[in-house]
Amino acid sequence: MPNRTQKSTRRISRRTVLRGAGVTMALPWLESIPAFGESTSTGVFPKRFAALFMGNGVNEDHWGAEGSGAGMQLSKTLMPLDPLKHKINVIHGLFHKRATGQGIHPAQTGSLLSGAAIQKGAIIKAGITVDQMIANRVGQDTAQSSIVLACEQPMTGYHETNFSMAYSSHISWQTPDSPVPNEVYPSLAFDNLFENRGSLRNMSILDRVKGDAEALSRAISSDDKGKLDEYLTSVREVEKRVDGMRKNKDQAEDLAKQRNRPVFTMDRPANGLPEDLRDHARLMCDIIAIAFQTDKTRVATLLLARDLSALYYPFLEVREGHHGASHDNTSAGYERISRFHLSQLAYLATKLDAMPEGSGTVLDNSCLMFLSNMWIGRKHDNTRLPLVLAGGLGGTLQTGRTLDYLKDGDDNRKLCSLYLSIMDRMGIQLDHFGDAETKLQRL
Amino acid sequence: MQHNRLSFTLLWAIGIPSISGAAPTHSDLDNQFTQTVKPFLNRYCIGCHGGDAPAAQFDLRTYTSVDTVVRDYPHWALLLERLNANEMPPKQAPQPSADARQAVTGWVQAVRMSEARKNAGDPGPVLVRRLSNSEYNNTIRDLTGVDIRPTREFPVDPANQAGFDNSGESLTMSPALLNKYLQAAREVGDHMVLTPGGFNFAPHPMLVETDREKYTIQRIVGFYQRQPTDYADYFQAAWRFKHRSLLGKPRATLNSIALDAKLSAKYLPLVWQILEEPATAAKPEVGPVAKLQAMWHALPAPGGDEPEIVRARCIEIRDFLVQIRNHTAMQYTAPKVEGLSATSQPLMNWKLRAFASHRRDYDHTVLRMEGEPEAAVQEMPKHPGLGQEAAFRATILAAKNRAGDLDLVIPAGQRAQVEASFARLSSVFPDAFYIRERGRFYPDDSEDKGRLLSAGFHNVMGYFRDDTPLIELILDEKGKNELNSLWDEFDFIADFTTRTWVQYFFNQSGEVEGHGRESGSVRPSDKAVAAAPVIFGLRDAYLAKADASDNPIAMEAIRDHFQRVNTTIRGVEKMRVEAEPRHLEALLKFAARAYRRPLSQSEHDSILAYYHSLRDKGGLTHEEAVRDSIVSVLMSPKFSYRIDLLETSSKSGKTLATAVPVRALSAYALASRLSYFLWSSMPDEALLARAEAGDLQKPSVLAAQARRMMKDERARGLAIDFAGNWLDFRRFEEHNAVDRLRFPSFTNELREAMFQEPVQFIDDVIRNGRSVLDLLYANRTFVNPVLAKHYGMPAVAGGAEDWVRVDDARTYGRGGLLAMSVFLTQNSPGLRTSPVKRGYWVAKRVLGDVIPPPPPNVPELPHDEAKLDLPLREMLARHRANPSCAACHARFDSFGLAFEGYGPIGETRANDLAGRPVDIQAVFPGGSHGAGFDGVQTYIREKREKDFLDNFSRKLLAYALGRTLMLSDEPAIDRMQAQLAANGYRFTALAETIVTSPQFLYKRSVVSKEQRGD
Repeated sequence: MPNRTQKSTRRISRRTVLRGAGVTMALPWLESIPAFGESTSTGVFPKRFAALFMGNGVNEDHWGAEGSGAGMQLSKTLMPLDPLKHKINVIHGLFHKRATGQGIHPAQTGSLLSGAAIQKGAIIKAGITVDQMIANRVGQDTAQSSIVLACEQPMTGYHETNFSMAYSSHISWQTPDSPVPNEVYPSLAFDNLFENRGSLRNMSILDRVKGDAEALSRAISSDDKGKLDEYLTSVREVEKRVDGMRKNKDQAEDLAKQRNRPVFTMDRPANGLPEDLRDHARLMCDIIAIAFQTDKTRVATLLLARDLSALYYPFLEVREGHHGASHDNTSAGYERISRFHLSQLAYLATKLDAMPEGSGTVLDNSCLMFLSNMWIGRKHDNTRLPLVLAGGLGGTLQTGRTLDYLKDGDDNRKLCSLYLSIMDRMGIQLDHFGDAETKLQRL
Repeated sequence: MQHNRLSFTLLWAIGIPSISGAAPTHSDLDNQFTQTVKPFLNRYCIGCHGGDAPAAQFDLRTYTSVDTVVRDYPHWALLLERLNANEMPPKQAPQPSADARQAVTGWVQAVRMSEARKNAGDPGPVLVRRLSNSEYNNTIRDLTGVDIRPTREFPVDPANQAGFDNSGESLTMSPALLNKYLQAAREVGDHMVLTPGGFNFAPHPMLVETDREKYTIQRIVGFYQRQPTDYADYFQAAWRFKHRSLLGKPRATLNSIALDAKLSAKYLPLVWQILEEPATAAKPEVGPVAKLQAMWHALPAPGGDEPEIVRARCIEIRDFLVQIRNHTAMQYTAPKVEGLSATSQPLMNWKLRAFASHRRDYDHTVLRMEGEPEAAVQEMPKHPGLGQEAAFRATILAAKNRAGDLDLVIPAGQRAQVEASFARLSSVFPDAFYIRERGRFYPDDSEDKGRLLSAGFHNVMGYFRDDTPLIELILDEKGKNELNSLWDEFDFIADFTTRTWVQYFFNQSGEVEGHGRESGSVRPSDKAVAAAPVIFGLRDAYLAKADASDNPIAMEAIRDHFQRVNTTIRGVEKMRVEAEPRHLEALLKFAARAYRRPLSQSEHDSILAYYHSLRDKGGLTHEEAVRDSIVSVLMSPKFSYRIDLLETSSKSGKTLATAVPVRALSAYALASRLSYFLWSSMPDEALLARAEAGDLQKPSVLAAQARRMMKDERARGLAIDFAGNWLDFRRFEEHNAVDRLRFPSFTNELREAMFQEPVQFIDDVIRNGRSVLDLLYANRTFVNPVLAKHYGMPAVAGGAEDWVRVDDARTYGRGGLLAMSVFLTQNSPGLRTSPVKRGYWVAKRVLGDVIPPPPPNVPELPHDEAKLDLPLREMLARHRANPSCAACHARFDSFGLAFEGYGPIGETRANDLAGRPVDIQAVFPGGSHGAGFDGVQTYIREKREKDFLDNFSRKLLAYALGRTLMLSDEPAIDRMQAQLAANGYRFTALAETIVTSPQFLYKRSVVSKEQRGD
């Protein structure tokens, strides 16, 4: 158990190892990457948001929670969260009305995080999702405004409801016309965060442009030079800012050398998709955890299994693929599938809870949301959705509760109301989002 | 008095030689300033225009020599004007003698002449500058072919002294803006799509798979929809050919008629042939061809009002054909294999291929002999379940549809002939030219369709091409190649065969491996899934399964399917490898177009070196490296700046007698100057070709190019950027001062239409070479549906993009610029009109009056007209009663008052918002009376037309040169005036004068020490 009062534990322990079931992957070398708190005044910690999604619903017989506080009772599927139950909220009865009655699957998924009215046919039209809305507001200060990860490749083409299957494959949308690309390769997700891949690419472009402008200034009249200098100065200024990120990494390397450690080689996840889904899901959770801890990003989404998922679970002894199995969702097999995905939330939450931050943990400053696009897969029923929140969002969100909105009337059980509440607690005040104009009561 | 004047004139003639003789020297003028001008100022002017708060912020104490006057000449031009008009000194102040007045005005004019001559044609300081936001957007549009408008998030460009946002004086760069440039360049880069031959830019970002599919599918579907496949059009064309002599075109051919009607010249003769081939006694025509020919021959000959009848009959013939082909189309089912669903991809594709390859055949089993009863139609089954064959239901549906069709009955004894007739008919008229969309129950599309090009698989992607009849019958060689390329590019760009295969392999191949219908292999591990051994391995598993069912067709279907998958994937791989060098060529071409000139060898090499370093050192993929190379080209100042390079090799041409050294612009720099003037965008190929040919600097070539370019639709850039700045409406699209509760008709659509009206009008003046006086006096304007409604004009059909010219606009109180609602609205503070702002706009923007800013302590008028105690006009009249206010207000209030017949959103009105009748009487400067819009026009026509023309010319020249005007531009202004008058005041005359002026053709050439090598 880490000692939470010890300041030095804000650094990532070098001994932290990413353990996937069955494989042990060497931890990316992270000792000197400053964790949050070293670069910012103490006391105020960033709030983070993550959404974890599994498609096609759960086994409704085994999804439930009752009571609050110490007496809170979790059902079989939610059991992996039992050790953390004082830090979660199980929320019953929320739904998104516009996603009902439009047809099954893609129409039930494309607006899940946006509350938008989505369009069928050849032209895709959805809406900006809550994670991207948050990223737009809080993302400027971090290496990546958000990370959008998936354990399953997207599908395209059309579903027979004539909605694009892109709606089934993406939960995160930056614009109405186009989803945010999913990163399915852990290695690339990792590089984007820790190699500052995007920044380095811009850096390289700025370098080149600087060369161009310098060469040019030898071929123009002296009057014109002043104007071009303005450009060059701007390039250098921007470069300096980008360079800050590179320096972070360089400093880390130097530090490693001074400590007489082997020359820095950053182990990263292997290129390619992990063959075992269990490894894949955990690697993705590890990346979110480290990204949150080191404040590389404050917003993440992880699509564990898409709608119409074709994932296959031999390790759970289920013969059917995910979607096929969901048509018999009261089966023991589908319960195992649901529990497997829920356990990823438990894994991520536990990991974040082991990362001290101030007097609490990173989990205490986060809100992790797990949800599906359906309640009962065999009926494609999405009139209520399974949903769990983990983390206290910097003390703004009371935890350890079961909240049931099912009987509160449709206007009082909107998913988008929950999003308004979460954004509000993250300092983003909107008067409406999706189909909601009011925050969720009692949250 | 008379005597005095004479003596002064004499003095003038001696002291300051007249401008027709030897010019006064600089020291002559300086002496005059000290001896004559300065004492005059001290005595009559400095009392107000000096001290702590100089009137009109014009401090005359700051001028100490000729040079200081020259530097600030525009103010002195104003001084000249006010002195000449006896408006200054004010009436209550001591007045100078006429001679003293003239001595000063004469001196100011002499300074003007002296300066203008000394440096006539000086190109002036035209600084290197970044593209304005508008130029950036237009250039990206013309460079990429898509209108991405990446600067929409940029801050608004500031304007220079002349009021334009296109000069180095005002266009600055900052780190924050540079960051936005980087984002903008990235955004453009995100639209890039690699093709087998190079790269294109898509209308939307191309980052996720679904974007790539959208782009490629829309192109194919768009191509299909553009093809002429309506039979009725062909019958009409055949009719025109048949009656070509009667129709006055005896020499028309099938080919020429097809071309005229935009029909397939390949298909029309086939249609003609089947319509006209004579039946013989030995071989009488029977069956559907006989019926077709009978309908054809029954078409009336030309002669009267037959065109509509012919059209209607041709549609009848088409409908007959569509129906009979629909009733006789071939039907197929998927081969059956025990344990596999009918929608298994190998089997389903076999079925789709069968449909695709028999569209010019017919199903003879649906024909019946005369007297034979029609087969009973079976009860319609429900839609089949997942994995079940949908064709059975489709077959029953087809039988139901054709029940009772007597055209399918064969008369006794004619079976062979009728069947031959059907065969012939079907070969010319396929049951479909192409399949655009498919649903899961294909070919039954009664309930589900709309999935473009889809193969109709369940829950996985998959596309199928079915357009053989289009290729065989309609498309010429070029069209065929284009369509084939589009399909190749579909695979190249969206990678659909590989991705379908991968999904199939992991998602659905479980059906043969015993995991269930929607499950296959465990996890996608890597690209090796698309390797041939994996493909053929799965094929063998399918073959084993089919073998058990002893179905040779299924075996063939399976072999065929996997072979095709492998061949296609290998083909795309090969295409990718072969395309890489072409992408680099395209990158170099792109850079040259972006830089608007040929690349130097070192630029060429460094672009390639950068690409290679991105791949080798940066670890980027080919596509990423091309994308980043494109971003780096767009970030280079060679793209984002207007830079006139010093061309050491260029001949300096004729020299100018200016005080500063100048040199002629290179041909490419001139091409850019021309295109950014006339298009607000980059040069096109034709213009660059002239630059390359080296004759662009010839005045005749230059003028010809300018004329060509003014006719081009890109001249709209000039209308928007020049007029938008000049008339101050460029930001009207964001205008939010209107209270929409009080004026609910002011919607975003109306606001946009208001903004577009002057653009449409001026664009028409430019492109059609009309008189610039039309801006003032025309009886026409342009409206779209929403604007027509706003103006109470007859309704215009269509949408926001449908603009029509109205030639009797005066009937509705419009015509020309002055009464356009955009100006009337912009110059109203919301709930009332503002005669002050409206009048000021006319005086300053249209007539070019220089009016000093108001003092800071002017009281505000109430914002709501309904709450005014007195009519606005009376409040203004009181204001003008104050002499210090009157000095300026008398010069413009009247124009605004005359426009009181137009309300706060430019609507015509009889009463103001307080219900008082509006009064549109006005006393214009100089004392003439007039009323309303007509009154203003009459006043301008009689008294101010010259001012308008002068102002228009100055503004256009300042815009074209990208700088504030100088005294040395005066001769050019004079020339523009002369050319206007000599050419019917056509806009084109002005533009041609500008582009052939030395200011435009030359560049100041100040060479720094290091460049000189000192």
